[in-house]
Amino acid sequence: MDDYQTEEETGFVVDEVSKIIKESIEATIGKNTYQHSRVNQWTTSVVEQCLSQLSKMGKPFKYIATCIIMQKNGAGLQTASTCFWDNSTDGSCAVRWENKSMYCIVSVFGLSI
Amino acid sequence: MSDLLKDKSQRREKRMGKVPSEGGYGGRGKETTGRTKDSISTVSYLDELGHHDDNARMTVTMENTYQMGPYKRFPIPAVTDILKDVLTSYLQQEKYEVEWSQKMTKTICEVIRARVKDLMIPRYKIVVLVHIGQLTGQSMQISSRCLWDASNDTFASYSFKNSSLYGVATVFAVYFE
Repeated sequence: MDDYQTEEETGFVVDEVSKIIKESIEATIGKNTYQHSRVNQWTTSVVEQCLSQLSKMGKPFKYIATCIIMQKNGAGLQTASTCFWDNSTDGSCAVRWENKSMYCIVSVFGLSI
Repeated sequence: MSDLLKDKSQRREKRMGKVPSEGGYGGRGKETTGRTKDSISTVSYLDELGHHDDNARMTVTMENTYQMGPYKRFPIPAVTDILKDVLTSYLQQEKYEVEWSQKMTKTICEVIRARVKDLMIPRYKIVVLVHIGQLTGQSMQISSRCLWDASNDTFASYSFKNSSLYGVATVFAVYFE
């Protein structure tokens, strides 16, 4: 069987994904400072925007997107991930974003169907 | 396939205290940094051997299986027990330290992945996410959303907290069709 699509069209391209993530964060949080009451809305909106942009690319992937927003007060936070998947098709991308009052970490995993 | 946007875990941590230290992030793979006026962002991703290397492994052409769904479903209670067991045993007596928790997030990740793999659930891909954070009165929120087949794909999550730190572990299981 011939492959009609190149890897560029079907693969997990980290640059594209990280661009989508950054745009979603900038669009949602932008220059806002930390507001406890709006964090729920922000995290939801960031992951939703990421997923909707990713699905618009129309690639054969299932996606998992996780967003963490943490207030900056000197507390530490570590995140790590491990995966059991097909290394040749699946991929992950994590973006750490911060401004003066908060950290925002978004991880996206793409698992090919 | 029914795609479903699934709202998941929402947690908030609150406690009082002031410890001025730099927040760390256990990244992996390569990192690139971008900087705008008042915000900074860093991208990290997996860049391992064989990712774009065609010679690394021979392409195996599989025969059709005509299998429409999983023979064995992903056992969420069993996995939640694993998460609970691992997090409790590794974090119970500990106090938050930056270096230690950088190593510990990775260790816990590996342990959880190994133990979930030992369950031998065929055709499921596994993603393990572990967060360890310090409790100093900050608030934080984690939320996840997935674009997947809600009938077969699932997740398990557990969070642990003691007086100085909290740990959150999430396992996503995605059925490979």
